[in-house]
Amino acid sequence: MQRVPLNQGMVEWSGENPGIYLKSDPDGDYSVVALFFRIVLSPHGRGVGAIILGDPDTPSGYPEVPNLCLTDNRPMMEYLIENFASKFPTLVGKAGVQAMSWFDVTDSHQDNRNMPHSYSERLCADDLQLQMTWKNLKAPMAVEVGPNESATKAHDMYAVFLEAADARITINGTALPGQVVDRQFFGQTMSTAFLALSETWVNPV
Amino acid sequence: MPIKPNVRTGAIDWTGENPGMLLKTDPDGDWSVLMLYFRVVWSPVGPGNILLLYENPAKAAGMPDCCNVIMADNEALRDYIKEGFIEKLGTFGGAPAYAAASQLTIDKVVSAGDPCGDFYSETVTGGGLEVKLVWQELGKPTALELPPELTGTGDRIMYSLLVDSKSAYVEVNGRRLAGKPVSRQQAGLPLSTAFLYYSETWIFPE
Repeated sequence: MQRVPLNQGMVEWSGENPGIYLKSDPDGDYSVVALFFRIVLSPHGRGVGAIILGDPDTPSGYPEVPNLCLTDNRPMMEYLIENFASKFPTLVGKAGVQAMSWFDVTDSHQDNRNMPHSYSERLCADDLQLQMTWKNLKAPMAVEVGPNESATKAHDMYAVFLEAADARITINGTALPGQVVDRQFFGQTMSTAFLALSETWVNPV
Repeated sequence: MPIKPNVRTGAIDWTGENPGMLLKTDPDGDWSVLMLYFRVVWSPVGPGNILLLYENPAKAAGMPDCCNVIMADNEALRDYIKEGFIEKLGTFGGAPAYAAASQLTIDKVVSAGDPCGDFYSETVTGGGLEVKLVWQELGKPTALELPPELTGTGDRIMYSLLVDSKSAYVEVNGRRLAGKPVSRQQAGLPLSTAFLYYSETWIFPE
């Protein structure tokens, strides 16, 4: 297999991008689509953010439905959504992306000291508290993909994935409904809850 | 040439961030200061932070004689990185300062700046020390995927995101250590000896 030691493309962003996709009906669409971002490098600086679509197909925001975005860097998050997340297969065409309510993060906390049993991210925006928890993490897997295989269909992407057997999202202590399911991912059957660490996206030459 | 899809089957050694500085007071002389910082987000022994700092690499002494220190907030990770990684980097593991370095505990790490901006810094606090690491004159971020023969350890594959730095320094409790980065070749690239490495993953060969 051809390797490229030096990628000549323009680096877009780098950081962590774990996700949780839940289904209330195993045969239906995802009832919850959630992505977390901890960005260490981007054209709009560093920061954290999360997209939570608890009702992905409804064009409404929080508190009417649990469609919300929390971040401490709005320009960064807008860039990530417009150029990346909105093109991911789980989010493309979802009415909740445009309608979700935005909140400025006032406090954030990552707990990664209990791996492989659990891993969590908590974001607070005044009295709103979001908690995402991944449970029973499996061994990490290094992945590299080009434009044909990346989620945007336009970029090179390097990452370390850890599958989680279970996951939970709570907003002010109330869990969003749905269960983790299996999906095909890089030729393997994996759950729809995952950590994506050390992830770098490159605009290829 | 685009990269091709691949899932590496080799076990992951560790992943995280690994910026560093190798400084000289005389461009033709020995290293005056050596520093590596690790922010590990996954390893077999857990995540954590490690700072390896030699104020005098050639001196087999630690604190309070000189600031040759290895600071960590996860002792198992510190030992894992020392034995499996640093000891394979001759410049760091082979220095007289290595065995004599004082082992201290990290209480706090604070990041500041922007790797796409004017500067980036890490401030590591613990054991009575406040160590400030500052990188300036930052280059364009570059994604690397190096085969073992192009890496420092020579035995593992490395993915990383490099930001070169032409100007960098270390301060210990407000005292700036001597030396500046110099030019070097690494993986065929003309680079400085001060660098930020983000999203770095070390993988044992398949």
